[in-house]
Amino acid sequence: MKKILLKAEHLSKSFSSAGRLQHVLKNIDLELYEGDFTVIMGASGAGKSTLLYALSGMDTPSLGTIAFRDRIISDLNQDGLAVFRRDHCGFVFQQIYLIDGMSILDNVLSAGLLVNTDKKALLSRAKKLFAAVGLSEETQEKFPTQVSGGEAQRAGIVRALINRPDILFADEPTGALNSKTGLDVLNTLTRFNEQGQTIVMVTHDMRSARRGNRILYLKDGAILGECLLSPYSSQASDGKARQETLQAFLSEMGW
Amino acid sequence: MRKTFLLARSYLRRSKGQSTSLFVLILLAAAMLHLWLILSLDYKQNFSRSHDRLNAQHVTLALDDAEDSDEDRIPFLTQTLEKDARTKEFFLDEVLHMVGTFEYNGGEINSDLIFSEKNSALARPVGKIEIVEEGPSSDGIYLPVLYRSDDIAIGKDITISIGNRRFTYPICGFFNSIMTGSHNCALCELILTEDKYKELEETGCAPRATLCSVRLQDKSDSEDYEAMLKNALSAAYPDRRAVSNSYALVSRSRYISQMICSAILSAMAFFILLIALVVIAASIVNHIQKNMKTLGALKAIGYTSRQLIGSLLWQFLGISLSASAAGAALSYALFPPVNRMMISQTGIPYALRFLPLSLGITLLTLNGAVAAAAWLASRRIRKIEPIAALRQGIPTHNFKKNHVPLAKTRAPLSLALALKTTCSGIKHNLTVAVTMLVLSLIVAFSGLMWENVIVNMTPFIHMIVGETTDSCLNINAEKEEEFLREMTADPRVEKAYLYTSLEVRHVGGIGLMTTICDDFSKANNQDVVFKGRFPKFDNEIAVAAKYAREQGLQVGDEIKITANGKEADYLISGFTQTSNNLGKDCLLTRAGYERLSRLDNTSYYLNLRENTDIDSFNMEAKERFKTDLNMAINVNATIESASSVYVALMTAIVIGVLILSLIVISFVLYLLVRSMLAGKQLDYGILKALGFTTGQLILQTAFSFLPALILSTGIGLIVSSLIINPLTALFLNGIGIVKSTFTVPGKLIAGAGLCLILSAFAITCLLSLRIRKISPKNLLTGE
Repeated sequence: MKKILLKAEHLSKSFSSAGRLQHVLKNIDLELYEGDFTVIMGASGAGKSTLLYALSGMDTPSLGTIAFRDRIISDLNQDGLAVFRRDHCGFVFQQIYLIDGMSILDNVLSAGLLVNTDKKALLSRAKKLFAAVGLSEETQEKFPTQVSGGEAQRAGIVRALINRPDILFADEPTGALNSKTGLDVLNTLTRFNEQGQTIVMVTHDMRSARRGNRILYLKDGAILGECLLSPYSSQASDGKARQETLQAFLSEMGW
Repeated sequence: MRKTFLLARSYLRRSKGQSTSLFVLILLAAAMLHLWLILSLDYKQNFSRSHDRLNAQHVTLALDDAEDSDEDRIPFLTQTLEKDARTKEFFLDEVLHMVGTFEYNGGEINSDLIFSEKNSALARPVGKIEIVEEGPSSDGIYLPVLYRSDDIAIGKDITISIGNRRFTYPICGFFNSIMTGSHNCALCELILTEDKYKELEETGCAPRATLCSVRLQDKSDSEDYEAMLKNALSAAYPDRRAVSNSYALVSRSRYISQMICSAILSAMAFFILLIALVVIAASIVNHIQKNMKTLGALKAIGYTSRQLIGSLLWQFLGISLSASAAGAALSYALFPPVNRMMISQTGIPYALRFLPLSLGITLLTLNGAVAAAAWLASRRIRKIEPIAALRQGIPTHNFKKNHVPLAKTRAPLSLALALKTTCSGIKHNLTVAVTMLVLSLIVAFSGLMWENVIVNMTPFIHMIVGETTDSCLNINAEKEEEFLREMTADPRVEKAYLYTSLEVRHVGGIGLMTTICDDFSKANNQDVVFKGRFPKFDNEIAVAAKYAREQGLQVGDEIKITANGKEADYLISGFTQTSNNLGKDCLLTRAGYERLSRLDNTSYYLNLRENTDIDSFNMEAKERFKTDLNMAINVNATIESASSVYVALMTAIVIGVLILSLIVISFVLYLLVRSMLAGKQLDYGILKALGFTTGQLILQTAFSFLPALILSTGIGLIVSSLIINPLTALFLNGIGIVKSTFTVPGKLIAGAGLCLILSAFAITCLLSLRIRKISPKNLLTGE
């Protein structure tokens, strides 16, 4: 039986735009499980990213509750949400968002030192993570503008994982990368998921979605359907069947 | 041109906060610059204008009549004045002349008083007086307008003490007299109505005198002419007392407060302008860095560098033109309180008017400086190549060095990140440093004035006035021995020493006021001589350093002094400084003076034991020595009255500059924090997404300013403490001070510096509250 990590009930989000209220998320009930690689898909404007921000404590819902391990987080103020994100979440963004004025290593440490003051242990973990994503020591000393997009995104993953987050939220992590570097990033995420890391990823790329074991399809702010797959493994030979199942699900959803 | 204006207008609209802050800084600079120009170009000239309007004299001299007869003094004076080619016109008038005291401004005015009869004074063709306020009463006294105050007003009475007698007069009005309208003029005129004048004359306690008012062909001859006249009279009438002043002396001594205000205002105006220019330059450089792609795009669609530079120029010129015009207007509103501070010292009515020259200089200086700073800072636009700018922009950070690597630093995270920001923000640091250096100098100056003028006046009095004591008694020379015997036996008297002033003349130089003392080691203020030593022997003299500098005299030089027709050589033993005679004085021992002349009457300074009532003591002395005691002055009260003007002025200045400093630092920090937050919005969004709280980011921002704040304030305060005395001396040079001996209050200045840093830190924290509005969600959605 999988443990529930995040639970959203009657989750709604509305925005006021040009004097009109837009309902972006409509009464969503959702549970996210430990160890899952959940992928949120949907057409542009379906509310994928809004759902991700609400679940991750980046934004507060207009209605409904979000609970993390039975603790309601949707009532927290901005600083409370910051502490929640710091202690339980990791983020990988489409635009990467490393701080230009800091070296790659410092970008990672600035997140790590927020939680872990044992610098030695932190450096050791950072070293392992950098090795795991294939970034050399030389690259770690560089500044974000001095490395490639793929290297920067892998650095972003290291930053997201430095604090051993309970959930890693990824918003279109390959969206700004070419196919080769995008694949590297996906492989990295998959590897960490294989090691037990819970991941929630927003994408509209089917190649990326294939890596998940649970695919949610969002349409007009509501979850239209869900597709469960076996956990992805690079060694597994079910690649074709996986692709077909996903394709069929997405066709059903109107993709 | 139209495109340039449109672009400038768009920039202005997008940067309302920055424009407002710059507007306030330039407004303050303009207000102070214009005020300074009003004071320097017109207020000071009001003396010359009023002098010409009232056909005032360039030299005034009151010569006491002989007690027994009215011999040949009028013909002699007439002849002396007429035969000098420098004389343009003159007028001789009958007056009463004596030293008197009256209460003013919580203290006592003690001065040579000239009592004139009203009709005679009003009819005077040279040295006219004008009644500026008059009540219904036609029998009483008219006072110089300088003394108009709550206690001295039309309808009230004023009591004047002359020797042992006290005379009370109803105040009928106030008048303006350029050369005799203040106790700062050496002689102060009071006008009595006919009956009151006759009454005073009949009492016999106020000797008759001839008031000689001379207008010269060239006013620059006034000091030499005055010395010539006094020499001629002292040779002809050695036993007569003569008191005089000159245009040069009065024009300086009545405008000391104007000089102080002018210096402070000009310094503050240029300091604030400097800060505004640094802020403008930093803003432009930031603007170019942040908008590199936009500028590249504008160039790509056909805008020339000239147009882009022009748009920035017009943006800042738009602000400075409106701010400088508003500042000039503000200066007119600020002038009345500034004038009120100074009028108690100048005492010459001044009507503010529109001054096109001052306005022109203000507008030209400020806008010229702003245009130059904006042009210099925006020149780099010329180097922008559209393709390079559009493709990748131009790096806004120098990534050659990783300052404060987190892996190695021991500093806590927030501090380490703040230090990273500090190291990458050279322009911000420079702006903070320039601002804090300027403010440090202001703090040091305020601390110096607070400690040496406002809280404890003694250092100020010692440096400006010279010798201080409790009581000064002037006794006829024949009674001197008896007087001394009684004073030394009186248990209330701690110390009594001769300290009398007379005029001598430096042969080849000018007339100098000499202070004669039997033993200068008895003097309370041993700092009067700041180089060399007091004269000890009868052939030694100490001269005012300002005069020595003007004459090229050195310690050890020999100078010839003359008085009463005799001459003697003296060796300069030291240099003195006091403002009493605006740097035209000297010190002689009694034996030294007696080589020239004998002392007819002697002024003794008395230090009284604590809790002795000085006024009662003086009264007793008057009763005891009757007519042999020419004068009894409560020196404490006199000094208090004379100094209160400066204390009030300095208090207002210190409070004013400190408030101004706080405003300036607030606006500068506002601009810097705003610019930093705008530049780091993305970074803060990322950090918030990672879990940094608003409080942590506020502290981080405030900490990032701390190194520059602490370093520049520390360096600024140390340097300011070292240069503040020489600067003060430079500032007071006009009144005879060449070396400032003020105590630099290290602890107070350090404490004030700390307060300045803490205030700046608190202001930064407050301004950084805008970080609350930065949301990580906006970063992700691209809002």
